[in-house]
Amino acid sequence: MAVDTTKNAVPFEMAQIPGPEMAKAYNTAVIGAIVKKAKRPLLVVGAELFEDPVMFDKAIEIGKTGVPIAATAHSIKGFVERGYTDNVTMIGLHPLTNYLRFKDWQGLDGKGQYDVVIFMGIFYKFASAMFSALKNFNRDIKRVSIDRYYHVNADMTFGNLAFDPEKYHEAIDEVIAKLAA
Amino acid sequence: MDKMEGSFSVEDMQNVQINIGAVVKEVEEWDQPMGPFPYPSIATLRDWDFKLINRYRVFYSPICDRCTLCTYGPCDLTGDKRGACGIDQAAQQGRIVLLAVLMGCTAHCAHGRHLYHWTLEKFGDLPFKMGDEILVDAPLTRTITGTKPKTLKEFGPVLGYVEEQVAQLLACTHTGQEGNYRDFESKALHAGMLDSLGKEVSDMIQIIAYDMPRGDEDAPLVECGMGTLDKNKAILITYGHNLAGSAEAMFYAEDNKLWDKVDIGGVCCTAIDNTRIGEGLGYPEEIQTKYRMVGTKAKIAGAMGWWRKMVEANVMDCVMVDEQCVYTNALEECQEKKVPLIATNEKIMLGLPDRTNDPVDEIVDDLVNFRMPGVAIIDPIKAGEVGVRTAIAVKPKRADERKKAFITEEEFKKYAESCTYCHSCQFVCPPHIKIGDVVQEAAKGNLEPLSSTYEICVGCRRCEQACPQDIPILSLYAYANQEYIKNQKFKMRAGRGPVKDTEIRRVGAPLVLGTIPGVIAIIGCANYPNGTKECYDIAREFVDRGFIVTTTGCMAMDMSLYTDEDGKTIWEQFPGGFDGRNICNIGSCVSNAHIHGAAIKVATIFAGRNERANYDDIADYILSKVGACGVAWGAMSQKAASIATGFNRLGVPAVVQPHSVMYRRAFLGRTDKKEDWEIIDARDGSRVYCEPAPEHMLYVAESVEECMLMMAKLCFRPSDNSQGRMIKLTHYCDISMKYFGCMPPDWPIYVRHASDLPLKWKEDMMKELESKYGWEIDWKRKAILSGPIRKSDVSFDPTNIERKIRVKK
Repeated sequence: MAVDTTKNAVPFEMAQIPGPEMAKAYNTAVIGAIVKKAKRPLLVVGAELFEDPVMFDKAIEIGKTGVPIAATAHSIKGFVERGYTDNVTMIGLHPLTNYLRFKDWQGLDGKGQYDVVIFMGIFYKFASAMFSALKNFNRDIKRVSIDRYYHVNADMTFGNLAFDPEKYHEAIDEVIAKLAA
Repeated sequence: MDKMEGSFSVEDMQNVQINIGAVVKEVEEWDQPMGPFPYPSIATLRDWDFKLINRYRVFYSPICDRCTLCTYGPCDLTGDKRGACGIDQAAQQGRIVLLAVLMGCTAHCAHGRHLYHWTLEKFGDLPFKMGDEILVDAPLTRTITGTKPKTLKEFGPVLGYVEEQVAQLLACTHTGQEGNYRDFESKALHAGMLDSLGKEVSDMIQIIAYDMPRGDEDAPLVECGMGTLDKNKAILITYGHNLAGSAEAMFYAEDNKLWDKVDIGGVCCTAIDNTRIGEGLGYPEEIQTKYRMVGTKAKIAGAMGWWRKMVEANVMDCVMVDEQCVYTNALEECQEKKVPLIATNEKIMLGLPDRTNDPVDEIVDDLVNFRMPGVAIIDPIKAGEVGVRTAIAVKPKRADERKKAFITEEEFKKYAESCTYCHSCQFVCPPHIKIGDVVQEAAKGNLEPLSSTYEICVGCRRCEQACPQDIPILSLYAYANQEYIKNQKFKMRAGRGPVKDTEIRRVGAPLVLGTIPGVIAIIGCANYPNGTKECYDIAREFVDRGFIVTTTGCMAMDMSLYTDEDGKTIWEQFPGGFDGRNICNIGSCVSNAHIHGAAIKVATIFAGRNERANYDDIADYILSKVGACGVAWGAMSQKAASIATGFNRLGVPAVVQPHSVMYRRAFLGRTDKKEDWEIIDARDGSRVYCEPAPEHMLYVAESVEECMLMMAKLCFRPSDNSQGRMIKLTHYCDISMKYFGCMPPDWPIYVRHASDLPLKWKEDMMKELESKYGWEIDWKRKAILSGPIRKSDVSFDPTNIERKIRVKK
C-alpha cells in the first residue's frame, strides 16, 4: 500500500504561516507524474543528505531517470564519493534560486529555463525561503518538495515525514518507481 | 542684532553675556580639500547604490506574503498582486528590509548617544587622541562627514547627522511614501552606512573615555567561560552592550577593594567592553591613576546565546542589564531563581519601578530581601554600587538556590521518562535538534546526545513552551552538562580597538595585489547552526591559510571555547596583529566600525586616496581592490542586517548562514550576464569586461563548508596581480577539494594568464582549459593564447566611477 504523504500537512516550523497561498500535500503518484511530465525538471539536493546517506543513492536513482541534479552546499561530495557526477552540477542554493527567478536564464546546461524544480535534503528554513522567492517572483516554475517536511511555500509537497524515516524512504522509492516506469 | 564686523574692545563691558552661535570657519588643519559629499543625504549616494544593485541584483525571499501595516490591510501581495496602497511585493520587502536596517542602526547610534552624554557628564570633554600610530583616527567620520573631531564633544554633530537621517529614512517607510524596491534598497544602504558611522562614534567615545586599547595587538588575555566565575564569591552578571553601569560596578569594586568578594562577569558585548577598560595609552588621568588594567579583573561569562544556559546553571547572584540583545523575559527568569535584576538604561526598563532617586541602602535592602524582583536605576554610578552591594549581600540568602543549581537525578529521570515522543518540540526548534530522540535517550540513561547538542541548542525555550508534558528541557541540558559548565574556562584576547596606520602600511600592498589573500571579518552572534564551533572552524581555516582574520563581539567569545591539541585557544595559538596568519579581536559590536575603517585606511594610507567626504570613491576602491569578506555565521538581531548592509555599501561582501534568510534580502550577481561585469579602466576610460570579482555582495550559505568556499571566492578582486590571483585561486580550489571533493566548476573564469594558475594543479588545469573549454594553449611556452574573459594587465586601474577617469580615450 502506498505511503500516505498527505498527512500531517502543517508547517514544519509551526509559526511559518506566510499568507493566503499555502502548499497542498500530494501523494507520491501525483508528484511522480508531475515530475515525469515536466519538460525541463531539476532536482535540487542539499547538505541534509549527509545526515541520511542512503538519500544520495536515491537522488542518483532519480538522476538516472533523466532528471538533472543541482547539488547545493557541499552535497556534490556525496555524488563524487559514489562516482556519479554525469548530470550533477555543483552550485549554491542561493545563486541557483536567483537564476531560477529570471525567465531569461538558460539553465545549468544552457538549454533553457526549468519548468519544475524539486527540492530534497535541504535545510528547512533555507528551502522554504527559496520556495518563497520563486512563489513570488517567478510563478512559471512549479515548486515541488519531496523533502521530509511539509513545505508551506511549495506548490506541491509531502506532509511531515521527518519523524518516520522508513516511511519517508518508501515514499521516495514510490516517486522513483513512478519516474522509472 | 545687526551684523557687526571688525575688532571690538570689551574692556568697559560688565555683566555682558556673549552668545556665539557657531564658529563657521576655523584654521584649516587638514591638508585634504573637502570632498564632493560631506554629510550625504538620502539621495546623495544613490548613483553609487544603483551601481551596486545593478550588478548585485536585489533578491527577496519573503517570509510573509502579506502587508498588515495600515488599515487598508491585510493585503495579499503574493506574486504580482499589489496592496490597496499600490505597493508590490518587492517594494514591501524592501520596506521591511529598510525597517530592519534602521532598527540595527538606531541601536548602535543610540548607544553612542547615551555614551556621548554620559562620558561628557562624567569625564568632561576629552581630547580625541588615538596615539602616534593612529593618525587616520576616525576614518568613517572623515569619509562620510568630511570632519575630523578633535574632542569627544565634536562627535556631537556627527551623531546629530545620523539621527536626522534616520528620521528621514524612517519617514520613507510610512504608507504612501517610497514605492520602489530599488529606492528602498538605496535607502537601506544609506542606513547601513549610518550604522557604521554610529558604531564608530560609539566605540571612539568609549575608547577615549575608558582608556581602552588603541590598536594593541598584545591586548591582554582575559578569562572566558562560565567556569571562570568563582562560586566562592558573589557573582554579578552585567548583560548587554553599554558598559556605563557595568564600568561603574567595576570602579566601585576597585575603589572599595571588593574583588575578593565579588566576581563581575559580562554577557554579550558588555563582557568584551568590561575587559578593555584601563588598558590603553594612559589617559584620561582618572582611569590611569585609579583603574589601570582594571579590565583584566572582569570576566567574560559568555556570549548572548549562553544567557539562558547561565540562568539554568545558576551561576549568578545579581544581574545588571543595560541595552541590546537582552532576552526580554530576563526579569521573569531571574525572579524564578531569586536573582535580583537591575535595569540600568532607559531603553530596557521591564516594567520595574524607577528607583534612580532613592537612597542606595534602601534599594539594596529591598533587593536583598526579595521585596521586589528588580529595580530600574538610570544612573550608572548608583546602579554600579547597587549591583555590587546587592550581589554580595544577597549571596548568603541565595545559598539554598545555589545548592539546587541543577535538578536532582530523580527529577531528571522523572522528566525524561515523561516524554511521549510527540515531537512537538522539534516542530519549533530553530536548529532542528531532534529533541524527542535526545530526551528518549536520556530516559534510557544515555546523556551523550544531551552533551553533543548542548552547544547547538540556542536556549530559546520554544521547546519547553510546546511540550505538552511541561518538561523543562533546558534543565535537562544543564543537568547533563554540569561538568562542562564547571570546566568552561578559556582565554580570550581583550578587544584591541582600531587597526593602526603602521599595520596598514605593512599590509596595504600585499592586500591590494592579493598576496595576502584577504581580510576575513567574523562578526555577530554565533547562534545557529553549530555556530559556536563553526565560527572557530572558520577562523582557524582562514588564519591557517594566511588571511588576516578579524573578529568582534559574541563571535570572539564563542570561538574562545575551543582549543587545539595543546589546550590553547585560538588567541594563544596566533598573534593579534592585523596581518596574515594573525587573528585580531577588534572589540565589541560597535568595534565592527574599525573593520570598515581598516578598509578605508588601505585606500587612504596605502593608495593615497582622499577620504574626506568622498564615500563613493573610497567604496569603489575597496570594491575593486581590497579583498575582504565579512561573515555573520549565526547572527540573530537586526543589527546584523545593518552591519552587513553597511559593509555592502562600502564594497565589502558578506556571507551569512541559512537562518539569515529571515533578513529576507540578498545581493547576488549573475555571471551569465556579461554586461553586469563591465568595469572602467581609470587610466583612459575604456570599458573592460571583468571576471565577477567579487561575484556576490550578500550571500546565504547552506553549510559551513559552502560558507568557507564562498568567503575565499569573494576575496577575488580585479586588481589582483598574477601572484595574488594565483594564491587566491589556490585557496579557492584547495577548500573546494577539501570539503567538496572536486574543483569548483567556475575556476576558469578567474584565470587571465597562465601565471594565475595554482602551481599545484597548473599542468592539469591547462589541459582542462584546452580540452573542456576550448582555450588555445601554447604548450612550448606554457602560455594561454586565447580563452580568458580578459587579459592580465598589471597596470589595470579598475573603477566604477566615471569621475575617476584620468585621461579620456
